[in-house]
Amino acid sequence: MDRIINDFTINIATANGTGSQSANLILLQSLFDMGVPVSGKNLFPSNISGLPTWYIVRLSDMGYQAPGDRTHIQVLVNPATWEDDIAALEPGSVVIWNSDTKKKTVEREDIISYPVPMSSLARKINPKIAKLVTNIIYVGVLAELLGIDQACLESAVAKQFKGKATAVELNITALGLGRDYCKEHLTKEDAYAVEARKVEKPQFFIEGNEAAALGAHYGGVQLLAWYPITPSSSMAEGIINYIPRLRTDDDGNATMAVIQAEDELAAAGMVLGAGWAGGRGMTATSGPGISLMQEFIGLAYFAEIPSVFWDVTRVGPSTGLPTRTQQSDIAMLYEGSHGDTQHIVLIPGTVEECFEYGWRAFDYSERFQTPIFGMSDLDLGMNRWACEGFTYPDQPMDRGKVVREQDVFEAFETFGRYLDVDGDGIPYRTLPGSGMDPILYRGTGHNPMGVYSEKPEDYYNLMQRLRMKIDNARDELPAPILREEEECEVGIVFLGSMENSIQEIDDILEATGIKVSQCRVRALPLHSEVEAFVRRHETVIVLEINRDGQLYGILRRELPNDLVTKVHSVAYSDGMPPRARIYAERILQTLEEVKQ
Amino acid sequence: MSEKPARPARAVKLNVLNEPKDSYTGGPSSLCPGCGHDQISNVIVTAAWENGIEPHRIAKMSGIGCSSKTPAYYLGQSHGFNTVHGRMPSVTTGAYAINKNLLYLGVSGDGDSASIGIGQLIHAIRRNMDMVYIVENNGVYGLTKGQYSATADVGSKKKKGPANETQPIDLCALAINLGCTFVARSFSGSKKQLTSLLKAAMSHKGFALIDVISPCVTFNNNDESMRSYGYVKENEVTLHMADYIPHFNPVEEIEVPEGHFRDITLHDGSTIRLETISSEHDPGDAMAALTALHEAENGKKHVTGLLYFDASKPSLAEDLGLVEEPLLDVPDEVLRPDKASLDALNAEFLS
Repeated sequence: MDRIINDFTINIATANGTGSQSANLILLQSLFDMGVPVSGKNLFPSNISGLPTWYIVRLSDMGYQAPGDRTHIQVLVNPATWEDDIAALEPGSVVIWNSDTKKKTVEREDIISYPVPMSSLARKINPKIAKLVTNIIYVGVLAELLGIDQACLESAVAKQFKGKATAVELNITALGLGRDYCKEHLTKEDAYAVEARKVEKPQFFIEGNEAAALGAHYGGVQLLAWYPITPSSSMAEGIINYIPRLRTDDDGNATMAVIQAEDELAAAGMVLGAGWAGGRGMTATSGPGISLMQEFIGLAYFAEIPSVFWDVTRVGPSTGLPTRTQQSDIAMLYEGSHGDTQHIVLIPGTVEECFEYGWRAFDYSERFQTPIFGMSDLDLGMNRWACEGFTYPDQPMDRGKVVREQDVFEAFETFGRYLDVDGDGIPYRTLPGSGMDPILYRGTGHNPMGVYSEKPEDYYNLMQRLRMKIDNARDELPAPILREEEECEVGIVFLGSMENSIQEIDDILEATGIKVSQCRVRALPLHSEVEAFVRRHETVIVLEINRDGQLYGILRRELPNDLVTKVHSVAYSDGMPPRARIYAERILQTLEEVKQ
Repeated sequence: MSEKPARPARAVKLNVLNEPKDSYTGGPSSLCPGCGHDQISNVIVTAAWENGIEPHRIAKMSGIGCSSKTPAYYLGQSHGFNTVHGRMPSVTTGAYAINKNLLYLGVSGDGDSASIGIGQLIHAIRRNMDMVYIVENNGVYGLTKGQYSATADVGSKKKKGPANETQPIDLCALAINLGCTFVARSFSGSKKQLTSLLKAAMSHKGFALIDVISPCVTFNNNDESMRSYGYVKENEVTLHMADYIPHFNPVEEIEVPEGHFRDITLHDGSTIRLETISSEHDPGDAMAALTALHEAENGKKHVTGLLYFDASKPSLAEDLGLVEEPLLDVPDEVLRPDKASLDALNAEFLS
C-alpha cells in the first residue's frame, strides 16, 4: 500500500468542556513543529460543557488551510455523535475509537477500525481526572500510528501547559500510554503518515484575535470599552493580558484604561467619549454588538469623532450560530446607522494583517475623523494560523488634524470645527479642556462653525463634504492583493479569511482548465485597483461567505455601468469555514451559466 | 474661539480667578418662556463662577430632550457633547478615561435618565464615575409634546387624556440603593438651595446625582400634577438649607445660618454646611434618607436637600489604575511600546 503523507484530514469528535481543546492543540502544535503545513478548525458549540465539539486537523503539503472535503481519520470519543460520525465516513476511512464507551461499537466493515480503551488507560494515571486524560490518550495513539516525533510532542505539551510541571508530566505519561497501547495491541492497516518538513522561515502559531490585540497596543490604544461576546472576547482579553507587559510603568500604573461596559451601546458610547476627548478608544464585538451600536456609529460619522470598532463576525441573523463563521456584516459595517452613511472597513485576511490593522485603524480614524471598522471573523479570529512574525509600525502615530497648541490655533484666520480649510473634506478639531474654540458637539445638523443649523445649504454641503472625505480615503487604505494570470479570463474578487481557502479553490478550478486571477479586497470603500482588476478581466466572480453577496452588492453599485454586467456573485454559507470544493463547484456552475 | 468679553468700565464682580460671571454664560435659550430648566441653567452659571472653576476645564455633557439642549445656554467657553438619547453617561465615562482632569457636568431629563438611559445611569453610579449628574425632572416628555415619563406620579394629569396610573421611579431612592455617593433633590425654583447643592456636587469626587424637580410650563403645569409649580411650592419638604463654603476665599461672605448645622468636608477641602430644618437628618444614613423619601411620597410631598453622602468609596479614577497624568497627555512614544518589545515578543513566539 502506498503511503499517504502529509495530505489528509483528522476529525476529532469530543464533548465540549472535557479538556479536548488542550489535547487537540498539542496535536496541532506538534505537527506544526515538525514543519508539516497544518491547520486546525475548532467547531465548538455555544455551550460551556457537554455539547458536541469537533476539531478538524488538516495536513497539507500543498499548504491548503481550508477544512478538507472529507475526513480520513475519525477520532471518536463522544457517544452523542457516534452513529452520525461513523455514517458520514467514506469507505477506507480510519476510526480510532474509545472502546470503553458504553453500548457503543464500530460495526462498519468498509472502514479501518482501531479500538482503544481510552478511559481505562486514563484511569490508570489518575481516576479522578480520567475524563481529561482520555483526550491526551488519543493524541498518543495518533502519534504512534502516524509517526509524530516524540520531541515535538513533548515540546508542544510544554508550550500548552507552560510552567505547570505536574500537568506536563501527567500529559507526557498519558501520551506514552497511548503510544504503548498502539504498539502492543494494534496493527497499522492504514496508509496515512506524517513526515517532517524543512521550513524555510521559522513560524509560530497565533490566533487572529491575539494578533489584533497586540496590534492595538502598538497603535497606542488608550481605552478599551467592551462587552463580552463570542467570537470577539479573546481580542479584548488579549489586550488586557498584554497591559502589564506592554503598557504599565514601573509603579504599576497603566497608560490605557479598560472598562467592561454594561452592554454594547455603552461600550460604543465610551469609545466615542474617548475619541471626543482626544484619545484612542476601541471596542471589540461581533455582529449582534454592532447591531446595538448603530446609533452611536451614526453619531461618530456625523459629528466626526475618531473611534475604532472591531467586528469579529459570526453567523447571523439574530443570535444565529454564535460559534460559527460567516462574512455577513459587510453591508452593515459599510453603511452602518440610519441616514446616508459610509464607513471605512479594514478587512484582514491573515494574522499579520490583523496585527497591522490593529494599529493602523487608529491612524485612519484620527486622520479621517470617522469611525473605522476592523472586520475579522470567527475562523480568522479564534483559530490558530502560521505567522513569521509581526512588523513594527513603519511610521509614527498619525494623530490627524488636531490642534493642541495655542499658536497653531491662533494662526487660523477663522476657526470652525467643520470648516474644510484644506479642501480634502477633513476639518480641524480642538479638544475639550483646551479652551480653544469650544463647541457643543451634536448629532443634530450643524454648520461649518459647529453651530446648530437646519439650513438646507448647510445640511447639503455637510453631507457632500462627508462623502468626499470618505471617498478620498479609498486609495489611502490597504490596496487589494492581486495574483493575476496572463490570460485574464476569470477574476475572483474575495475578502478576509477566504484567503485561507482561495489557493485550493484556484487549484481545483485550474485542474478543470480554468485559470483564475485573484483579487483580495482589504478595505472598503473599494480601492481604485479593484475597478482596474475588474476592467482587465472578462468575467469576474465575487466570492464571499454569506447568502446575499454583500460585497457583490457594493461592487454592482459602485462600478461604472459598463463593468457591472461582467461581475457575478458566488455567495455561500452554511456556518462551516469555507470548504474549497463547495465554492469551486459553485464558481464552475456560475461560469457555465454566464456562458449560456 | 469665542473672545472673552471686553472688560466694561464699571466695576464688575469677579470670582477667585478674576473672571466675571459673563465668562460662564452661554447662548440664548430656545426653551418655552418660564421653563424651570432655564433657572437651572442660571444656577449652573452661578455655581461654576462662584466655585472659581476655569470655564474651559468643564465638559458639558447631555443626552436628548429639552434638558439636554440646555448646555448651549450656559458655559459658552466649555466644550460640550449633546450625545444620543439616554447615553450621556457612557460617553462621559469614555471621555473621563482619557482626560480625568476635567469637571464633567451632565445634564439630563427624566426621559433620558429614568427610561431610555436608566441602565447607563445605574452603571455610571455603580462605577462611581466622577461627575455631576443633574436630572431636570418634570415627569413629562416635552420635545415630543407631553407624554408621561417614568417619573410621573400616579394620578398626575397632563392637559388632555387620562391620568397616569403607572408607578413612578424615584431616582434618588434608586441612587441611594445603588450606593451613589452624593444624592440630592431640589427644585428649580429654589435657587439658593440648588446653588449650594450644585457647588458641593462640583467638589465631590465620585458620582453626584441632583434630581431637580423642574416643572414643565407647557405640558405639565396644571395644578393636579405633582410636578407643577403650584404643587411643588405647596408641598416641598426642605430637609436642609444647605450652604457651601469653597476651599478658597469665597466671593461673598457666607451667612452662617441660625440654628443647628453640620459641616461636611468634600474632597477638595471645601465644605457643605447643612442646616437641619425638619429633622436631624444624617446624610451618612442611607436608611434615614430612604425613610425620608418614603414618608414624603406617602404624604404626596417632595423632600429636598442633600439626602445621602459617602466620601469613602473610591471613584472610577482609582479603579482604572492609570498613570498620574491624564492619558490625553501621555506622549505618543510612551503610548506605543518600543520596537524592542515587539522583537522580544516575536522571538518568544518563535522559541
